[in-house]
Amino acid sequence: MTVIDLITRVDAICKKYEKYDIDKHKEANVTGDDAFARLYGVVESEIDAALQKSEAAATEKSRATAVAMNAEIRRTKARLLEELPKLQRLALKKVKGLSREELEARNDLVYSLKDRIEAIPDGSTAAAKQSGGVSGGWAASSSYTGIKIDSSSEAFESEYFQQTEESDRFRQEYEMRRMKQDQGLEVIAEGLDTLKNMAHDMNEEIDRQMPLMDEIDEKVDRAASDLKNTNVRLKDTVNQLRSSRNFCIDIILLCIILGIAAYLYNVLK
Amino acid sequence: MSTSDPSKLISKADKLTKLSLTRWSADWKSATVLYEQAANGFRVARNYEKAKLAFEKASQGQEMLSSPWDAAKHMESAAALAKELRNWAEVIDFYRKASELYMQCDRPQPASDALAKGARALEDALPDDAIQLYTDACVILEDDGKEQMAFDLYRAATSVYVKLEKYTDAAAFLLRLGLAADKCNARNSQCKAYLSAIIVYLYAHDLKQAEKCYNDCSQIDAFLGSDQNRCASKLLSAYTEGDVEEIKRVAQSSAISNLDNVIIKLARKLPTGDVSAFKTDAANEEEPLDENDLT
Repeated sequence: MTVIDLITRVDAICKKYEKYDIDKHKEANVTGDDAFARLYGVVESEIDAALQKSEAAATEKSRATAVAMNAEIRRTKARLLEELPKLQRLALKKVKGLSREELEARNDLVYSLKDRIEAIPDGSTAAAKQSGGVSGGWAASSSYTGIKIDSSSEAFESEYFQQTEESDRFRQEYEMRRMKQDQGLEVIAEGLDTLKNMAHDMNEEIDRQMPLMDEIDEKVDRAASDLKNTNVRLKDTVNQLRSSRNFCIDIILLCIILGIAAYLYNVLK
Repeated sequence: MSTSDPSKLISKADKLTKLSLTRWSADWKSATVLYEQAANGFRVARNYEKAKLAFEKASQGQEMLSSPWDAAKHMESAAALAKELRNWAEVIDFYRKASELYMQCDRPQPASDALAKGARALEDALPDDAIQLYTDACVILEDDGKEQMAFDLYRAATSVYVKLEKYTDAAAFLLRLGLAADKCNARNSQCKAYLSAIIVYLYAHDLKQAEKCYNDCSQIDAFLGSDQNRCASKLLSAYTEGDVEEIKRVAQSSAISNLDNVIIKLARKLPTGDVSAFKTDAANEEEPLDENDLT
C-alpha cells in the first residue's frame, strides 16, 4: 500500500466521522454573528499557544532563550488580561439564539478564563520551583505568579523579589568572574613590576659598562698597532741579520778556498 | 723558578740589599725577583706571616725599581695575607698604601678597588674604619667622574651603618647615592635611593625627618613622576593616619621589594613604635585652624 493510498484512506475516515469533531464545530459556530464566541475562541487559542510555549521554555537548556520565551509569554498574558474586560462586556450582551443559562455560563466562562490565563507558567513559577529546592526561603513568594494589572505596591515588591532571584544568580556569576579576573590582573601587574625593575637595572649596568668597553677598545687598538710595528721592525732586523750572515759565510768560504788554492800552488811549485 | 727553600731565598735577597763595605749600592733587581719567589713559596707552604713579610719587601723593591704598579700589586697580596692573619691594623695600612701606589700610576679605579677590598675585610671587625675606607673609595671615584662605580660602595657603606644602627648617617649616605645617580642620569637608582632613605628615617621612627626628606626629594622631577614616589607618599600618609595595616600592605608592595635586601628587612619591620602618636599630632595641628575660622 503506497503512501498516497494511506492518505486517501485517512481522509475518507475523517470525513465519515466529521460530526464528532468538536473543534471544527466550535469554529463553525464561531464564524457567525457572535462576537463573544469569536473573541472567546481567539483568546482560547492564544492561551493554548502560550501553554505550549511555556512547556517548551521549561525544557529549554539555554538560559537566555528560556528567559526570552518567558518574557514573551508574560507579554501575551498581559495582552489577554487586557482583553478580558471586553470579553466580559460582550458576555453580558444578549445574542439571539442563546438561552439564559448559556448567558450566565458565559460570565462564568470569562472568570475561569482569567484564572486560566494567570495559571500559565511564565518562568516565574518555574524559577520559584527551582530556587525552592536551592534556597527554600522563598515560600511566601512562590505562590505568587503572573502580573496583576491593578497591582498594589506590596505585590510589586514581591514581584520584584521574584525577578531578582534569576538576575541574582547572574550577578553572582558576574561578580565571581570579575574577582577572578582581578586576581589574574594583579598577578600580571606584579610580574610586570619585577620585569620593569630588572630592565631598569640592566639599563644602568650597561650604561656603566659602556665607557669601560670604550677604554678596552682603545687600549686594545693601541696594543695591536704597537705589536704590528714591532713585528715589522723585527722582520727587517732579522732580514738584515740573515743577509749579513750570508755575506760573512760567503766571505769566509771564499777565504778558505783561496787559502787552499794558495797552499796547493805552493806545494806544486 | 728555584724550588729551594724560600727562607734561603729571603736571606739571599736580604744580603743583596743590605749595604756594607763590599756593597755600595743595593741590587734591587735581583733582590726583588728573589723576594717574589720566596713570597710565592711561603704562600704555597701556607706560612702566611713570612709570606706577608716577603711580599712587603718585594713591593718595596718594585718601588725602588720605579714600577708602582707591581709594587701596588704586591702590597695587595700582602694585605690579603694580613687579613688571613686577622691583623687588622696592617690590613688597613697595606690597602691604603696599595691605593696610593695605584694613584701614582694614574689609575684611580684599582685604587678605589683596593680600598673597597680593605673595607669589606674590615666590615665585621672594625666597622668605623670600614666606613672610612668606603668613603675614601667613593671620593676617589667621584673625583675621577666615575660615579656609577660608586653605587655599590655606597650601598655597602649604608648596610654597615644600618648594622651599627646609625640611621641618620645611613640615610645621609643614601642621599649621597641619589646625588651620584643624578649626575649620571641613573634615574631608577636615584629614586630607589630616595625611597630607601625615607624608609630608613621611618624605621628610626622620625616622621618629621622622613617628611622633610620626602619634601626635598619631591623637588626633583625624576623622583616626582616615579613609582617610588607614589609608594613613599602612600607610606607617609599611612603613617600620618596611624593605619598599621596599610603600612604593612605598602611594605609588601613591589616597589619596596625591588630595593636592597637590607632596606627590605627594615621595611618589613615597620612600623616601629607607636604609630597612633603621629595620628594625634596631625589632629592637634588641625585644631588651631578651626579656631582661626571661627574668629
